[in-house]
Amino acid sequence: MAADKKKKPDTIEIWDDIVRIKDLVLAIGVNSFTTLGGYFIAPNHAPMPLLFGLIGAVVGFIICSLFIKPKRIFEETESGN
Amino acid sequence: MDLILLLEMIVAAVAAALIYTIIGIIPGTDETAVLVPVTLILVLAGIQPVVVLCFFISAVIANNLMDAVPAAIAGIPGGVMASPLIEHAQLLKRKGMADQSLRKMAAGSLIGVLVSVPVSLLLSLLLAKNFISLAEMIKDYANPIFFAGAVLLALLSKNKLLALVSILPFTLLIEGLRYLYWGIGVVPKGTTVFISFFLGITIGPVILTLFELMDKEKREHLRSDQLRTIALQKMHFEWKWFNPFSALKRREWLISAGASLISCFTFILSPVGMTTLLGELFSKRTKDPVDRASIAVSSMNALANATYLSGTLIPLIALGIPLSPVAIGPAHALFDAPPVFTATHNMYHVLSHTDFILATVIGAGVAILVAYSLAIKYAQSICSFVFKRIPHEAILGLFCAFVFLLAYMDAGWINIGGVLLIGLISGMLHRLGVGYGILFMVLYAAPWLVSVF
Repeated sequence: MAADKKKKPDTIEIWDDIVRIKDLVLAIGVNSFTTLGGYFIAPNHAPMPLLFGLIGAVVGFIICSLFIKPKRIFEETESGN
Repeated sequence: MDLILLLEMIVAAVAAALIYTIIGIIPGTDETAVLVPVTLILVLAGIQPVVVLCFFISAVIANNLMDAVPAAIAGIPGGVMASPLIEHAQLLKRKGMADQSLRKMAAGSLIGVLVSVPVSLLLSLLLAKNFISLAEMIKDYANPIFFAGAVLLALLSKNKLLALVSILPFTLLIEGLRYLYWGIGVVPKGTTVFISFFLGITIGPVILTLFELMDKEKREHLRSDQLRTIALQKMHFEWKWFNPFSALKRREWLISAGASLISCFTFILSPVGMTTLLGELFSKRTKDPVDRASIAVSSMNALANATYLSGTLIPLIALGIPLSPVAIGPAHALFDAPPVFTATHNMYHVLSHTDFILATVIGAGVAILVAYSLAIKYAQSICSFVFKRIPHEAILGLFCAFVFLLAYMDAGWINIGGVLLIGLISGMLHRLGVGYGILFMVLYAAPWLVSVF
């Protein structure tokens, strides 16, 4: 049973795609940090905090995309029958 | 209208088309959840309303068109609006016709836009002219109407009794939190916290799953040891494919155009529902399975765009209150984004008819140019890029971060807990079969419903 558990990968399905729990927690953490971080370090007059937050979100997204591998097995097939 | 503004609109439309080309392809992305936060942030950041509208129109079209791309070449839906046609797309793919299927879908989208933009604009301008008094009257009764809408949607849903019974508890949850915030003073009395609750509802299912992960037993249960295998069919490109009419038979484009036209008049009904209903209705009578699937994929893509555009434009231009499932869902930020837009001061009030027409035409034109040519020429490379490089975790993380930020902005740190609570409950209700539409309507009607007692 214990060995069986080890074999089981740490992946689950959310929103119709497969994610690894650790990566998901990491991604939420990183994105929240960059987004809220951007919002708080911005000069304190509208609309700067929101724009900085948005930029932070994009930065977080890029960081996550670079460091987390998608969990999809991908193959290309020739067209035609 | 000056040149700089015009330029801004074009830039916004191009940006939207590019961003939502990527988002559209990502499997399983819910339209409301991906469209609202971004539009909302643009509105709140003080971007000119006409530029935001242009961005939104372009985003909708690019998103709907690109939803179909993975459906055609990989057999998986890119989003909710692509789910009705997935069976037909899989059939065509099995027959080795992925490239034809893709071109039919793209051409269908094009027809949907070409039909619904002029028809929706015309219809809404006519309605706006003749029914100003009607719009004023509806406004006075907006809250009871939203309540009636929730009841009606509940009666039409799969789990009627469950949906009906959950209306009052959900109302109490929302109003309970609002009164709590007033009571402890994080929000000035009378200010209605709305947007973050709205987003909480949208990402409810994700929040519920995240909570379940914290339970050991559930976690074991949720585990799936199979990675998703995606088989992409290679395609060879020919320049003549750019002609949309070469992709469709006469019958296919006639049906696509006809279905789009009908769906403009049924803008108050659910877009997924109408797409399924009309698409199946028109394709059902064809005997040959390949012909039937071809009609289905082209007309359903036309319908996806037509339902979204009419559902956005008609309430926006003619009424100024979000009286359609699209307006109350994905297009919500155009109607209500306090403090910039409120029920009595939104795009309906600040934009002229010329603004509406220009923003729609530019947004739709740019989206079609960008997304259509990308879909036809680069579908395969974009798909492999997205599938290989964009992890699903990053998308989920991004939208959770948006929700946290907007929750904090609405009512401080405590509201992050509030939004999690709303997400948890609405995720549970959603899983039990209570649709988003019902929950959104309840969110609107809640203050009125409580005042009745």
